Formats: sequence, structure tokens, C-alpha cells
Amino acid sequence: MAASLSLKDVNLHFGGVKVLQDVSFDVEPGVILGLVGPNGAGKTSLFNCISGHYKPSSGSITITGKEVRGSAPSRLARLGLARTFQHPALQLNATVLQNVLLGGHIRLPGGPVSWALRLPYTGRAERAIRAEALELLDHAGLGWAAELPADELSHGLHKGIELWRALLSKPALLLLDEPAAGLSHGEVQQLIATVKRIRAEQDITIIIVEHHMGLISALTDQVVVLDHGRKLMAGTAAEAQSDPRVIEAYIGKDSADDAA
Amino acid sequence: MSTVSPVLRNRSARIALTVVVAIALIAAPLLLPAFANQTLVRIGVYAVAVLGLNIVMGYTGQVNLGQIFFVGLGAYVTAYGVNHGWNIIVVFVAACAIAGIVGLLVALAAARLGGLAIAMVTIALPIVGVPLAKRLSEFTGGSQGISARFSDAPDWSGLYSDQWQFYIVLLVTAAAFLLARSLVQGKYGRAFGVVRENEAVAASMGVSPYRTKVLAFTIASILGGASGFLYLAAVQYTSPETLSFGHSISLLAAMVIGGAGSIAGSLIGGAYYVFVPQLTNAIDPSFTTLSQGAILLVVLFLLPEGLVSLPRVIRRLGRRRTARPTSGNPPQTAPAHHPVPEAAREGLENTERQDRP
Repeated sequence: MAASLSLKDVNLHFGGVKVLQDVSFDVEPGVILGLVGPNGAGKTSLFNCISGHYKPSSGSITITGKEVRGSAPSRLARLGLARTFQHPALQLNATVLQNVLLGGHIRLPGGPVSWALRLPYTGRAERAIRAEALELLDHAGLGWAAELPADELSHGLHKGIELWRALLSKPALLLLDEPAAGLSHGEVQQLIATVKRIRAEQDITIIIVEHHMGLISALTDQVVVLDHGRKLMAGTAAEAQSDPRVIEAYIGKDSADDAA
Repeated sequence: MSTVSPVLRNRSARIALTVVVAIALIAAPLLLPAFANQTLVRIGVYAVAVLGLNIVMGYTGQVNLGQIFFVGLGAYVTAYGVNHGWNIIVVFVAACAIAGIVGLLVALAAARLGGLAIAMVTIALPIVGVPLAKRLSEFTGGSQGISARFSDAPDWSGLYSDQWQFYIVLLVTAAAFLLARSLVQGKYGRAFGVVRENEAVAASMGVSPYRTKVLAFTIASILGGASGFLYLAAVQYTSPETLSFGHSISLLAAMVIGGAGSIAGSLIGGAYYVFVPQLTNAIDPSFTTLSQGAILLVVLFLLPEGLVSLPRVIRRLGRRRTARPTSGNPPQTAPAHHPVPEAAREGLENTERQDRP
């Protein structure tokens, strides 16, 4: 089940610094939303508020009607939220498969005693999730890398592994923080195809923070533009890119206008 | 696992090996001289303590300098229980449970603090523990210590005491290692690992860093208590000296030398803890500490991942000599961000192009 997300008047202050001010928007289930804006606009901060890593100073965040402001990230994960990070955060000395399997944590039943005693159901669950993780990797053309230590792979593949790790948790809401950062042109095209495929195959809501406007245009149904911690506009990617306020936020006012 | 040699991957070979090891362990005390048995018993005692330390520090990355406190606690509980005529199973359960509960309470508070604060709290444990053990002489026998004999071989067994003790220690140690190994291989092993590496990632995977740290610390304390029980089975006497801070550091050194984040490494660590003082004493008793330090440095310099990585390192060296690696690491591209105006212009150009028919 894809989740809906609703933000109302979200404020985030660090001391006197107002990182986010009165940000409100709604995301319908099954939508891919792009969160764009210049560096320092507060995109990642907003992301961290949604995923529970930051607690907004005020306002409300609801996921499928459930108020989650201030919930711990580990609780949000159990509500069906998964995310990737701007800089891939993998366990580099563990294998690719072990990294991906971590995404299955919330789907594995049983407490530490059951696992220490190797009760049969824990073994069955582990084998099932392992098969699923291998299938995900195979499907992504990464089957060959499953048993390699993660640090032997490239940055582009690290970003991919993060994505598969997040997907193994079967999320209802997936947050992608700059999935194209540092990727080559070819890798970005592949990423676009992958996200399209995920959306076609799964009932999932996706929010993407990204600078790469090509990716935003290709993937998103709607975008929210942030600037200086405020929502500048909401609409489609094409609307955003022709909106004079957005252009101004990115490249400043035309010097001719200033002179006039 | 990539660290397991091909022979062990074969299922029947693994079963055969397990059977051989089991038979060897059961037969060993009957064939070995008493001194060897006593040495093996002490290795088992400390291996369990190192195992606990490894769960909380090696696997979960939480500095714990107080493991010896839980060993001492387990030993005192055992002595108390034995001297009050409790059933030996009850004594064992109490030693583990009381150490576990104290560990849990300490962890509930300390894990909130995070980072070095946990280390400071754990340092306090043995430092508070020693004078406490001296004070509470009603339970502990004060500075004199307390002795409890429960591990002498019963008449029906026809065994010597060292053999009987060997079997007690073997039973508990084997159970502890098998349980710990199962625990760190699946769901919880991955949870421990991600909490060690990156708590933000752990949390977003649904692994609560706080609860995971408390869990790891509690398991370490339970294993500490079990080690204390075994200590009393082997030594039959405990005193405040048992839980002095210096021993905690030695346990830590043993864990690192054996291999942090390795179950087999804990066993090697236990052996290190027992053998190295014997070895250095044999070389020159007046330089014991100095030569122990030298051994520590040499091992860490040559095998930073501990003695357990020795086969892996040898294999890697062998491979390097026979074949060049076919694929090197691709150059790491830094996740560089485009400067803002450029990104915007690029984006705008992109749409223009796409908008054109």
C-alpha cells in the first residue's frame, strides 16, 4: 500500500537559524514528488524531518493520516518509510548481500532469544529474505556482486545498493536523497529507468531530492520548490522550470531588471 | 561467508569436522595431564568473558571497560549461592541473571549518553566494584575473599576434579559460543554491525540504536556472569582482586588480539589471556608487563584484525604472489554537487531541449 504524506506548517529552527518556515504540501499515494531548490534551501533538512532524524520545531507531519512529528526514525521505518542517503552509507567491509539484507530487518520476525536458539521459523525467514534480496540484486544486474565486499564497488553501484536495501523493507513511502549525485550520465539514465520500473511494479510513493533537473523532469508527477526554507511553489516539473520565481531563486535576478 | 575456507563450506565435511572436534574435546580431559586441563578450563572461563566483550564492543562498537565487573559479580553470586546450598543450576541461572539485570540497568542509563560516556560509565564499574566487594563483607567475605567448593568431581563419576571442571566449563562455554554465533549471523548480527558503523542508517532501517546497544550490553553482562560462574568452578575462590580494573583492560586486549567482531577470535582471545602471562613469566618474570606490551604491539602491527585473521592474511598474500588482481577498484567519484547556478542552467536547458518537438 502506497502511503500519503501531508505536511502542515512545518518549522525547523536551529537556535536562531530558521531552516524551514511554514512548509506545507500534500503527497497523494503513488505519486513521485520532486523536492528541488538551490543548495541550502532546506531540502535535506525537510527530508530529515520526514524521516525522523530531525524533529521539527512546530507543525505537523502525517503519513497515511498518522501524526509522526517527532517519532524516532526506527519507528517510522516500521510504519513503512525507507530512505537513502546523499552520501551512500554502507557497511564497506560487509558483503553487498549483507548490506541489502539490512533493509529486511523490520520484516524478520522474532527476538534475540529466538535467533540465538535458531528456532526453525527464524531460519525460514532468513532464507526467504535472503532469496528475495538475491532476486532484487539479480533483477538489477548486480547478482555477480552479491558476495563481494561493498568497498570493492564504485560510487554509482553504492547508490544502487542503498536503493535496493531501502526497497527490501517493502516501503510504502520511499525518500531518495540526491540519488543522482556523483553519477555519470549513463548511470543517471539507468537510475531513471530503475525508478520508473519500481513505480510500475510496486504500490509506492516516492519523494526525490535532486539537483539534476533532467531526472526530476523525467520522473516526477509534481515538484515542490524550496528556497531559503520556504515553499516557493508547487506544480509540475515543467511549470517549475518556467516559473520566474524559481529561475530567480537559482540564478538571481536579471541584471537588466536590477538596473531598471 | 568469504572468510570460511572452501573445505568448511561443504556440509558433510563441516558435520564431520564438528563431530571430530566434539569427540576430541570430550576425550581430551581423560588423556591430558591435570595442568593442561586446568589451563584449558581457564581458557574457557576467559573466552566466555571475551565473547561477551566482543558482542558489545567488537560487533556493536560500544566501548566497554567494565566487563570484569560482571565476571566478578557472577563469581560472587555463585559463591553466595553455593554457600547457601542452592541447587547448582539455580546458582548458574542466578549468576547470569543478576549480572544481566545489573548490566541492563547500567545500559539503560549509559546507552542514552552515547559515545565516550558509555566508556566512562563502564570504567566506573570495576572501580566502584572493588571497594564495594570489600565493604559488603556479609556477602563477599570482604578483602579476605570467599571460597566455594562445588566443582569437585562427585564419586559416582569416577573422574578427577580437574576433569569434572573441564566438563562443566566445556558445557557452558560451548553453549555460550553456539548461541552467540547464531545470534550474530542473522538479523541481530546485522543490527549490531550497522549500529557500530552508522547510527543514522541503523535508525532508518528500523534498528533502534538505543535498544540495540542495551541488548548488546545486556548480553555481554550475562556472558560476564556466566564467565564468573565458570571462574568459581575453576578457581573455587574469589576476592575483590578478581574484578580489579586492570583485568578489564587485559580482557579488552585479549579481545582485540583474538579478533574484534569474531566469535572464533573470542576463543583465541581467551587463550591469549591465559597463555601470554605464562609465556612472559617463563621468559623473564621481571619483564612480564613489558613483554606483554611488546606482544600486543607486534600482533596489532602485523594483524590489525587480530589473530583470527591470520589464515585470511596468509591466503591473501599467497594469492597476491600467484596472480595479479584482475579488477582493481574503479576510481571513487566524489559525490560532488554542481554549483547552483550551473545546475539551474543545465536544468533549464534540459527542459528546453525536451520541450522542443
